[in-house]
Amino acid sequence: MKISNSKYGAILSVPGLVLLLIWVLIPFFYLIYLSFLRYDNMSPVVFHGFANYKRVFQDSAFPSILAHTFIFSFGSTGLTFLTSLILALCLNKIVKGSTFFRSLVIMPWAVPLILSGFLWAWMFHPSFGPISDILIKLKLISEPLNIYKNPKMSMAGVIIADAWRRIPFLAIITLAGFQAIPEELYDAAKVDGADSFHIFRYVSMPLASRPVLIGTLITLMFSFRSIDVIYSMTPGGGYAKGTYVLGTYLFDYMYEFLNFGLAASTSVILSIFTLTIGSFFIYYTLKKR
Amino acid sequence: MKIRKALLKIVNHRATPYVVLSVISFFMITPFIWMGLSAFKTLSETFRCPPTYFPENPTLKTMSEAWFKAPIPTYIINSLIVCLGSTFIIIIAGSFTAYALSQYRYKGSNIALGLFLFTRIIPPLSLLLPYYLMLMKLHLLNTRISVVLYLIYLNYPLIVWLLKGFFDSFPRDLTDAAIADGCSRTGAIIRIVFPVAATSIGAIAVIGFLWAWNEFFAPFLFISYDELKPITVGIYYFVGDEYAYWNRMCAAGIYAVIPSLLFFLLAQKYIVKGLTSGALKY
Repeated sequence: MKISNSKYGAILSVPGLVLLLIWVLIPFFYLIYLSFLRYDNMSPVVFHGFANYKRVFQDSAFPSILAHTFIFSFGSTGLTFLTSLILALCLNKIVKGSTFFRSLVIMPWAVPLILSGFLWAWMFHPSFGPISDILIKLKLISEPLNIYKNPKMSMAGVIIADAWRRIPFLAIITLAGFQAIPEELYDAAKVDGADSFHIFRYVSMPLASRPVLIGTLITLMFSFRSIDVIYSMTPGGGYAKGTYVLGTYLFDYMYEFLNFGLAASTSVILSIFTLTIGSFFIYYTLKKR
Repeated sequence: MKIRKALLKIVNHRATPYVVLSVISFFMITPFIWMGLSAFKTLSETFRCPPTYFPENPTLKTMSEAWFKAPIPTYIINSLIVCLGSTFIIIIAGSFTAYALSQYRYKGSNIALGLFLFTRIIPPLSLLLPYYLMLMKLHLLNTRISVVLYLIYLNYPLIVWLLKGFFDSFPRDLTDAAIADGCSRTGAIIRIVFPVAATSIGAIAVIGFLWAWNEFFAPFLFISYDELKPITVGIYYFVGDEYAYWNRMCAAGIYAVIPSLLFFLLAQKYIVKGLTSGALKY
């Protein structure tokens, strides 16, 4: 007996879908359920309605936490985007040594984010780190940059450490986007008298916009939701809580204060934010050319 | 216009891309240089102000201490076990689903696809808590299995998505010819598709392996026995609350980075291909 192709496809994908259901969707619904409980490991667990959400939203620190989250993720994504774009444009132009430079650029990808945070924390150290030392020797600054005593500097520090680790991914995606553009288009533009800026504005960017956009959205989502660098570079949220973001807030309630209900509701809030960014990603991904 | 012309002259100059690339590449490898140099310093030299750049008395002591005293080999073996284990399960389970999603349309296949995208977006941090409680109820905390289970969640949707993107560009003629010759559809997948696609599936597996290698928070929460910790958690304890063993951390960092760096540099071409075909072509 021969079953139809569509039925065969459905049967073939069942095991993987079951795995997805068990591994991702059940924990997700369990999380939503947890967020409505009073689960603080001190009193009996009871249903608590929206009380956890209320407490998070009414927390006096919440607006600044949210602001930090956005500054961090958009700052990191912006820096990553600009650097990747410049890198991809340059890598696309050269022939000699392109493998060499691409290998150098790709290297940070191999570094765990947690290690990236530690390395940059040390390099930014006002007394023992090389960055302040070099800048002072070049007479660019008179006082050492202190990421431990200046909340704005801590934010800049974590953004640099995070972006450093994310540049390779976006640079490779952007480069692939540029390389997919047929050579004839460049030649045609040149014949029509376009200079390099025209070519970038009217040929490279429009034609590579889709991969670049998707790659940037992925980077944004990833930096929005990951706190590895912040956690290792500025433990406890840094000086004056200057790098305290939604993710660290969540992790503190789960790991330090053991208030699971509150941590769960913060998790749901974080998921909603990420899914909002992600819906753009889904839209552009599934949109037909 | 004058400014534009001057800028064009700079942009179009043959040396410009090389200068820009050198500057940015230097920025990209500075932490590696610093890590490499510091691993050969003594602890007191790492707390020198102003800092020294080249170790005054280069010593291999730190590297050997990190390897022998701190159980770095154990950490690395643990990392290898959980990363290889989870990636293996993901690839086995995910390949068929990805192939089905890519080659066959069926009722609800779009929903299934959307489900994979949706689950890819849920922050891993958010699911730490439900996972922790579920693993606790199953008495799986402090086992390597707990980390494997979490890593499957972390990478499964992404890997299926990459695999699906790759299978989309797989030449249909090959399977059609095999089926015309009397091969069953499942037979065609196992005998034709997987062998032909082996390198690309391998590249995607390497990507998944590296993602797993980077994971810190899950093992940090789930595992409290030293002999079960992976390398990322191992590194964390070199930087204590009061005292930072920078030189040992750098040595441990070098050991942690070497495996993934080797993978990257060796499989670079395939990784780039796997990533771009999966992430960009639909």
